[in-house]
Amino acid sequence: MQFKSSHLLIDTCCLINLCASGELLHILQVISISVKTNIVQEVKRELQKIEHLEEFESAVEQGLLLIVDFASDTEINTFITYAMEIDDGEAATGAIAISRGWAMATDDKKATKFLSQQAPSLQIVSTPEIIKYWSETANIDLFKLSNILQEIRVKARYSPSKNHFLKVGGKW
Amino acid sequence: MTDNILDNIDMKQLGKLLEQARKQKGMTQEDVAKLIEVSTTTMIAIEKGDRPFQPAELIILARTYRKSVSDFVRQRPVIKPFDIQLAGISHNNEQAEAEIKPCIFQLEELCQNHLELEQIMQSSLPRYYPPEYTVSGMPIETTAEAIANQERQRLGLGDSPIGLFRDILEMSVGLRIFYISMPEKYAEIYGYNEELGGCIGINVTHPEELRRWSLAYGYLHFLIHRHQSVCDLVNIREQYETLPKSEQLAETFAKYFFMPTSSLLKQFNGRCQANQGGKFTQTDLFSLAHYYGVSVIAMTLRLEEMQLLPAGTWDNLKERGFRIRQTQQDLHLKQLLERNDLNPIHYQHLAIEALNQGLITEGQFAKFFQVDRLEARHIAELLREYSSEMDEQAGNLDLRQNSNERAVYAI
Repeated sequence: MQFKSSHLLIDTCCLINLCASGELLHILQVISISVKTNIVQEVKRELQKIEHLEEFESAVEQGLLLIVDFASDTEINTFITYAMEIDDGEAATGAIAISRGWAMATDDKKATKFLSQQAPSLQIVSTPEIIKYWSETANIDLFKLSNILQEIRVKARYSPSKNHFLKVGGKW
Repeated sequence: MTDNILDNIDMKQLGKLLEQARKQKGMTQEDVAKLIEVSTTTMIAIEKGDRPFQPAELIILARTYRKSVSDFVRQRPVIKPFDIQLAGISHNNEQAEAEIKPCIFQLEELCQNHLELEQIMQSSLPRYYPPEYTVSGMPIETTAEAIANQERQRLGLGDSPIGLFRDILEMSVGLRIFYISMPEKYAEIYGYNEELGGCIGINVTHPEELRRWSLAYGYLHFLIHRHQSVCDLVNIREQYETLPKSEQLAETFAKYFFMPTSSLLKQFNGRCQANQGGKFTQTDLFSLAHYYGVSVIAMTLRLEEMQLLPAGTWDNLKERGFRIRQTQQDLHLKQLLERNDLNPIHYQHLAIEALNQGLITEGQFAKFFQVDRLEARHIAELLREYSSEMDEQAGNLDLRQNSNERAVYAI
């Protein structure tokens, strides 16, 4: 996978998964070599409601995750149009990513389908793709990688959909 | 210049939602006007839907009310708020209203969610409503027993103890039942309107025997004055004579519905015959209460009333300081097993299917269950064990042998 833009906006569901990996800071450090990682206010607010996401707070404090907000009437209007269909986090992430030509990260089925229809050129990446990119770039050994995937499965209760291209024989 | 996206939205409806959200937050129009830097008069006009406003202002309001913008702008079914009467409250009415209002709002929101899910999934909750019973001018005891017996017959319950009462009312009647947290003295909220049908909110913080009793109250309201929404307090025995007639009827109905005379008499005699000397012991009392899924006090009073136990037995037991929970534990009587989830089964199934089919987002799913995302994933995991886990196409397959025979099933 290659990032096709300078910035990546990460949605709530992906961040929960990355936090569960226990490697959020390292993942963001590695990714930030290629792309600046951001979240929207709506995602920040939602994550703050969830307990035990300390790594997320550290990532914000260390500037590995920059908080962005709407910068134009167009972005606000697009956000509200999208919020008629999807939740605020995904709507704001999608509106800003599309308006600024950034990539976004989400695992949400409805959001992915809806936003791809709105902007076919929008690059949408998923948790498995981010993990794969990080593990390959940082040479993470298979044993550690397997443990991390297990952590995500158990702590974040996430497993890619059965059709995900990185899922082989029911496993990832 | 960019067009105002809110011009395409029903401003009257949006105004109503904003007003509702402000009230839920306990804020005045003046407070909110300051936030978006408009006059109070303008804020009043916004809530009436008479004045257009800017999308940025909507975002500020949503953030202030701790609501999603999506809650204000997405297409949702509109429901008429319940006009709830507080039953049996003669004083401190204002205080009581302030206490219970958030719970009524919560019940209304959950009912609205349920309708929204039905629209998304195009699957409404089947209703098997009996006609309303006429009770005016009839004696309470006789009427309550007659209704209890007829309803037992209609629901195919015979005179056996009633297990999974909530499921029966949800599936065999088509009531929307939510278990929500309320201040301790409140037992149940019953609401009705044409779009929703009968809706009941039960105080989840109460023990299961009491929740079942409260459900019977709600059911009786539905059976005798369906269109009148009401909130019930936990009634205590000493207050019975002072209760309104409808509450007395509900209390009496619950008694006959859970403990039918013929069945209870048979059980009582059976236990006496099995004991040496024909005794009826404290252990028998506890196991009977457990068997019928009622509290020990409800069972004792019922047996007193049937003259199977001497009058004053309950008072004697109380004076002797016996401890109900301790005795239940000593007798290894397990806690009654009923679902105490927030939402009805139908609601849960619709939500998980909608998520599986990508018709709602994970965030929307979490809101339908009023939990954070992690808890929502836990719920989804549990529900998936019982759901089809199919995509949209497979989930919509008609599994009947010959779907052309629709008319046969409709009969």
